[in-house]
Amino acid sequence: MKALFFHAEKCIGCKLCHLACSAQNEEEFNPRLARLKITSRYDRNGLVVGGQTCDLCLKCVEACPVDAIIEKQGRLSFLEDLCTDCDICVDICPNQVIVNKETGIGVCVQCHSCANWCPTEALIFAEVER
Amino acid sequence: MTYTGKILRVNLSTGKAQPEPLNEKWARDYLGGKGLSIKYLYEELEPGIDPLSEANKLILMTGPTTGTIVPNSGKLAVAAKSPATGTILDCSIGGYFAPELKYAGYDAVIIEGKAKTPVYLYIEDEKVELRSAGDLWGKGAHETEHIIAETLGDVITMVIGQAGENLLPMACISSELYRQAGRGGIGAVMGSKNLKAIAVRGTGGIKIPNIRKFSAALNKIKREDTMTDDNMWTYSDGTPMLVDLCHDSGILPTRNFQEGTFEDYKKINSDAVKGVLKAKKACFACPLGCSNYVEKGDTRVEGPEYETLALCGSNCAIGDIEAIIEFNRLCDDYCLDTISAGNSVAFAMELTEKGIYDFGIHFGEVDKYLEMPGLIARKEGVGAELAAGVRAMAEKYGGMDFAMQVKGLEMPGYEPRGSWAMGLAYGTADRGACHMRAWPTAVEAFGDIDPYTSEGKAKLVIGMQDDNSVKFSAIFCDFWALSTERMAEILSLLLEREVTATELTTIGERTYNLARLFNEREGFNRKDDYLPERIFSEKLPTGTTAGKLLPREEYEKMLTDYYQLRGWDENGIITEAKKKELHL
Repeated sequence: MKALFFHAEKCIGCKLCHLACSAQNEEEFNPRLARLKITSRYDRNGLVVGGQTCDLCLKCVEACPVDAIIEKQGRLSFLEDLCTDCDICVDICPNQVIVNKETGIGVCVQCHSCANWCPTEALIFAEVER
Repeated sequence: MTYTGKILRVNLSTGKAQPEPLNEKWARDYLGGKGLSIKYLYEELEPGIDPLSEANKLILMTGPTTGTIVPNSGKLAVAAKSPATGTILDCSIGGYFAPELKYAGYDAVIIEGKAKTPVYLYIEDEKVELRSAGDLWGKGAHETEHIIAETLGDVITMVIGQAGENLLPMACISSELYRQAGRGGIGAVMGSKNLKAIAVRGTGGIKIPNIRKFSAALNKIKREDTMTDDNMWTYSDGTPMLVDLCHDSGILPTRNFQEGTFEDYKKINSDAVKGVLKAKKACFACPLGCSNYVEKGDTRVEGPEYETLALCGSNCAIGDIEAIIEFNRLCDDYCLDTISAGNSVAFAMELTEKGIYDFGIHFGEVDKYLEMPGLIARKEGVGAELAAGVRAMAEKYGGMDFAMQVKGLEMPGYEPRGSWAMGLAYGTADRGACHMRAWPTAVEAFGDIDPYTSEGKAKLVIGMQDDNSVKFSAIFCDFWALSTERMAEILSLLLEREVTATELTTIGERTYNLARLFNEREGFNRKDDYLPERIFSEKLPTGTTAGKLLPREEYEKMLTDYYQLRGWDENGIITEAKKKELHL
């Protein structure tokens, strides 16, 4: 199955991935609602580029007590009706890319919007080795 | 609609901060960014005020594209009356500040008055605070941003360095260490208000109808119109590519504009920058990534841009890329505009070499050159003289004929004797010698249009000024060469009404005329629209421009044509008919 990968050396920090994700999945332009976290900032030691994306580790699927997050053919889906807002998935996600919303959560559904917008191919979908 | 409809007005004298509705009629007439900030300043500033008094206002203005997925929409207009020129002043700063302000819920911030003691402004959505900046005052821009980030976390900041605190007419505002609202002393306006920094965190978003369809359409535009061969020089090289082009065209300012070619240009060109390149970097929502983040030893900088390579390189006869990078870093940290600082240093070098006044620095002297940013920013020794800018230096010590400035603003890196329309663009730019209002060099020195004729130049420059005015109001970055038709297509989708290219051209023209009207009210007219005598009477000595100058009579002819086409009278005053036509 395929998952999203990030190549920091190619990232220019434009945040178009965040905008594409939030537009596609939340119907607004809001980088904080993106289901990935790409940062490109200067600290005292220079430029720091960081990228956290869903690598389909499925820890959220395993942890959800009510099976509101399911995996089917390498793709996650979220069943809002079942969700009890316990936030266990948000806390357990090793990459911290599950968006905690007022009601429910947002997981990467492999829509590919971020990679489709990435101007430098810093974000790509590729086969996951298990 | 992508306006928030809300402006934040902060009065530093009273400490009060209050939101107010955006003036919708003005937003329709001027869009945002450059145009709308000038409109607010024109309406709210009393004529004749001291730019460094509490009567001046500082405006941060976003535009209708800000915060959306529209490519190259990450810019913010920062405007005030200029301490360097006394004209209107709007700067454009990239990075991430503009979208963050929009996400906090504001189209703009208007800052008035003066704080009694140093403060910084902290905006987190509806929460607005003035915090003490006592510990930050006296610190460089870099340290200031690091401390604020360590205190407040993931905020975006705009700050001033020592240059702004010391009210220098070449003080800039800096954001994320290496992005600047550079020109005209905008940093001194912050300094005069005892405002060290502005930090913002915005957690909201922007909603538009059919957002998925809109995004898909914009992704296609990004691929087919933004990331094209015409624009991708930004990613492959960035502005340093202009060093070779300008040298080859004989318009690379060298030794205070005494020459148009530089013998060591290969040591400071794009290849030299690539030799120390660490990473490419973009502003928010920009797929072009023009910035070059370079590292050399402990010296790190995002840059140097062409203007720095030219004015702080060849113009000072510094053919040493490491020295220019260090000079650039120092200027960024002190918050000095590199165009003006480079000009001041070069002018001091020429005055010294000509024996007019001994500033103790000659062309090409790297060690002394590297001392200059600190001396200037702190107003120490000769630095105190250089800090005043080349016009003030010439008034005191002489050399006005080769003080390279217009209206008190130092000249950018394109020699007008090899690009006559560029001369007209400098003369008629609203904030003094500026290359961002129109850049006809692209089609003259690097294109098919004869650089050495006055024919057709007025029309060329006016078209570019009006196009750029609306572009910087919408707000787009200069480096996406997009048509007004394309702009109209995008704005129609965002504003949910039909916007036409003709309407946008009119907004550009209206904006440029309003800027002129502001300057007119301050006493500016034809007499102020001239270039330094060197351009009119000294022939360039080398390269493809050898023997060239811009004859004064040809400049007069361009200027007269320009006023006529603009609908201004012979003295450069806007006619009543033109005002009526543009609803000014």
